[in-house]
Amino acid sequence: MERPSPGAATSAVAAPAVKVRDSVVLTLAGSGGDGIALLGDLILRAAAHQGLYGMMVQSYGPQIRGGESAVMLRVSEREVLFEGDESDLLLCFRIADLQRFRATVRLHSRSIVVVDAADEEPLPEWLGHTEQAVVRYPFTRVQDGRQVPGPPKNMLALGLITRFLGWPPALVHQVLDQRFGHRPELLASNLEAFERGHATAAAPRLPRLRGHGVPLVVETGNEAVARGAMDAGLRFFAGYPITPSSEIMETLLDELPARGGHVVQAEDEIASLGMVLGSSFGNVLAMTATSGPGLSLMTEMIGLSGMAEVPTVIVDCQRVGPSTGMPSRTEQADLQHAVYGGHGDFPRAVLGVFDVVHAREAMHRAFHLSEKYLLPVIVLSDAYIAQRRQIRDSVVETREMPRRRTWTPQDGPVAFSFDEPVPPFRVPGTPGGQVLLAGLEHTQQGWPTADGATHDKMSERRFRKMPLLAAETRDWYRTLGEDGAPRGLVAWGSTYGVLREWVNDHPEYRVFLPEILHPFPLEAYEEWRRGLQWLGVLELSHQGQLFRHLAGLTDVRGVHSITRSGGLPLTLHEITQRIEEASR
Amino acid sequence: MRNAKDYRSALNPVWCPGCGDFGVLKGLTQALAELDIPPEKVGVISGIGCSSRLPGYLHAFSFNSIHGRALPIASGLKLSRPDLTVVAVGGDGDGLSIGTGHLPHAIRRDVDITYIMMDNGVYALTKGQASPTTEMELKAELGLAGVQERPINPVMFVLSLGCGFVANTHSGNLPQVRQMIREGIQYPGFAFVRVLAGCATYQTKQYQQEILARCDLLPEDHDPTDIRHAVDLALTMRFKLGVMYRRPPSEKPAFAEPYAWEAAARARAAEPRDVSLPVDTD
Repeated sequence: MERPSPGAATSAVAAPAVKVRDSVVLTLAGSGGDGIALLGDLILRAAAHQGLYGMMVQSYGPQIRGGESAVMLRVSEREVLFEGDESDLLLCFRIADLQRFRATVRLHSRSIVVVDAADEEPLPEWLGHTEQAVVRYPFTRVQDGRQVPGPPKNMLALGLITRFLGWPPALVHQVLDQRFGHRPELLASNLEAFERGHATAAAPRLPRLRGHGVPLVVETGNEAVARGAMDAGLRFFAGYPITPSSEIMETLLDELPARGGHVVQAEDEIASLGMVLGSSFGNVLAMTATSGPGLSLMTEMIGLSGMAEVPTVIVDCQRVGPSTGMPSRTEQADLQHAVYGGHGDFPRAVLGVFDVVHAREAMHRAFHLSEKYLLPVIVLSDAYIAQRRQIRDSVVETREMPRRRTWTPQDGPVAFSFDEPVPPFRVPGTPGGQVLLAGLEHTQQGWPTADGATHDKMSERRFRKMPLLAAETRDWYRTLGEDGAPRGLVAWGSTYGVLREWVNDHPEYRVFLPEILHPFPLEAYEEWRRGLQWLGVLELSHQGQLFRHLAGLTDVRGVHSITRSGGLPLTLHEITQRIEEASR
Repeated sequence: MRNAKDYRSALNPVWCPGCGDFGVLKGLTQALAELDIPPEKVGVISGIGCSSRLPGYLHAFSFNSIHGRALPIASGLKLSRPDLTVVAVGGDGDGLSIGTGHLPHAIRRDVDITYIMMDNGVYALTKGQASPTTEMELKAELGLAGVQERPINPVMFVLSLGCGFVANTHSGNLPQVRQMIREGIQYPGFAFVRVLAGCATYQTKQYQQEILARCDLLPEDHDPTDIRHAVDLALTMRFKLGVMYRRPPSEKPAFAEPYAWEAAARARAAEPRDVSLPVDTD
C-alpha cells in the first residue's frame, strides 16, 4: 500500500464511511490458565489467513497473571477499528468469572452462549436476554463427581467456534501448525482436541463471512509503533519497562539489532530520554517509549531537546492517571502534559495515533517533523491501541527516511543565527563543525548568556519553527460524515475507531479528528465547523483536556464538553447516550 | 602533532581565580593533545554546576545539558557513535546527588566513556550549600544543612560497583591530572577519574591546605589490578592519588563474578536433601 510522503503536501483524509454489517463479535471469558488469550489469537490468525479483517482486545483482572481474563474479538469482511459492543457469541468456561466484565459484555436477542456443561451457575441478569438456547458443552471432564484432566478446553472451544463460523478445519490446521509446528507432540494433542470440538453435532450458525483470500497481517499497536519507527530509520532506542508500552521495547529488542540498531533498557525514563538525546546528538535517529508516569519523569529532558535543538521522538502509550492510576486501562488525559508540560517556552509537536495501521504513518511523520525542525515530537498512543491485535493489510514501505539538514563549512561559522528558524545541525565528526549545545540560553555563536534581549530573540527564532511546521501539517486531520451535517463532534486518537461506525447510524453528525494536536490544525477546524448547529468535544478525560486545549485557541462558547474518565474505551451505545445527556 | 590550545574554544572561563577546575581544563586539553585525537572526534557532555561549564571552553562537540544527566547523554552518544571519544564531566553534586542513579548503571553497562568528577565538596554555583561529599565537621562549622549526613566516598562507591578504571587525583598536580585523564580515555570501558578540585570562594585556604595535606601519591609499586588493596586504600582517611584500580579489560568485575549461581548450585547439589521441605514442582 503506498502512502504519500509526509514531506509532500498531503490532503486531509475524509475517512470512508464504514458500514460493517458482516461482522461477528465474540467474547471469550475464563480464568488464568484457560488459555483464553491464545484461543482469541488463534481465531484472529485464522481470520487473517483467509483475508478477513478484525481486531481483539483483552481484559484482565487486577492480577498481572492468573485471575479472570476475557478477550473481545471481532471478525469482519471490512477493516474494523472497534471490537463491537454486543456479542454474537459469548463463551465462558466459568460463569462466576463473568462478574468482573459486567461493564463490557452485552448480549442481543440472537446471541449464542456457550458454557461448560458442568457449570450450574445461572447466567447473570445484566448480560441481557437471548432467544437462542444456551449451548452446554462438556469442556471439563468429570469422573465420580471429580474433575479429571482432559483435552485442553481452549482447543475444544477453537473447534466449536470455528464450526459455528463455518470455517474449514484445514484452515485452522495451518494456523495451529504455524503456532505449534516446532512442538510436534503438543501440536498433535491440540489438533485432536480441535477436531473433537469441531465435530460437535447440531451446531448453531454464526453469520458466514467471506474473506478476500489474501492473507493479512496481525499486529498490535505497540508492534506497529516499533516497526513504523524502524521503517522511518530508527537506529537507537532506550526505554524503561512500563505498562502498557513495554512491548515497543520488546519488539525492537527482537527486530532492531538485525537492522544495525541498538536497544538499551535504561535505569529509568530520565536516562532513557537522555540516551536518546545523546544518540540524536550523534545524528543517529533515536526514540523512547513510555506511559504517563514516564512522560512526567522525562519532562525536564523534553525541554532540553527543545532548547538545545536536538530532535527526539517520545511515544506515550496513555494509561489511566494521575500517578499510578490504572496501568492497564486506557485514557486520553496526557494531552495537556504533552502539549504544555515543562518549564519555559519551547517549540514541540504532538501527534495522536488513531489505530494500528495509522501508528506506522504517525511514527514516520513524527520522525519527519523532529528531524526537519529539530525539536521534540510526542506521539500519543493509548492502552486501547497499544494492546489490541488488529488485522491489517501488509505494508510495503516506500517513503523516504527523514533526515535533518546537516551543517557543512559553506553554512558558515554562526551556529544559531537569528535569521534561520532551523539551524543546520552540526554532526559530531564534521571537521570545523565544533559546537556547544546547551540547555543554557545561548548566543548565535552558541555561548551561554544571561542577556534578556538575546533570550527574547532566541525564543522568537526557535518559535519561528512553529508556523512553518503548522503550514506543513495543516491537513493532518481526518473527518467523518457528510460535510453538510448539522451537528458536529471533535474527538482524537483511538476514539476514531468507534466513531467511524457510529457516524453511519447518525447521519446528522460530522466529525473532526486532529492527527496533529499541537500545533492544532485550526484553519481546517474553523472551516469544518462552519454552519454547525451543535458541536461537542468527545474525549476520555475528566477535565476535558482537548476541550480546554481548544479553548485556548478558538471560541468555544456554546460548544459542549462531553467527557468521561478513562478505564474502558467508548462504545457505540455510550456515545449516543452521552451526547443525549449533553444535549439536554 | 596537536597542542592543548587546539582543543580550547574562544570562551574565557567564568570560574573564580584559584578554582580547581582550571587544572582539569588544562589536564583534559593536554591529554587530548597527547593522544592526538582530532577535535571534531571529541564529544564532551556535562550536567550543571561550576565544573559543568567546562565543555563550553572546549573546541569540540560539547553539550552542557541539565543537572545530573551527563552520563545517559554521553552513553547514548558513544553507543551510537563508537568512532567518537566521549568524555562526561561534572561535579560531586551533579554526579553523587541528583544524578547518582545513573552512575551504577553506566558502570554496569561499561560503555567506553571517561567520567571526570571534579569534587570540590560544595555546591558552589548556588553559593555554598553542602554537597554529598562535604565533611560533617565542615557542615557543622559553617552551619550548613545535613550535619548528621555522612559524606559519600566516591572512590569506594565506584569500586563497589565494579568500575574497571578508578583514578584519584588533585587538580593542583597538573602532570598527574593529565596522565589520569589520558589513561582513562585509553581504557577500553567505563573509566572514573575523581579530581579533588577545591573551591576558591566557598572554602578557606586553610581547608584547601588540609585536603592537600591528606593527599599521598600512590607508591610506584602499587598494583592497580588488586581490587582488595584498592578498597583498603579507599577506606583510609587519606586521598591516594594515582590509578587506584585498573582491571584488565579481559577480566570480569570482581563483584560481578558468576558467584552465585554456579557455586551455590554446586553446594546445593552436594548437600543431602531435606525431604520435609516443600518441593516446588513447577
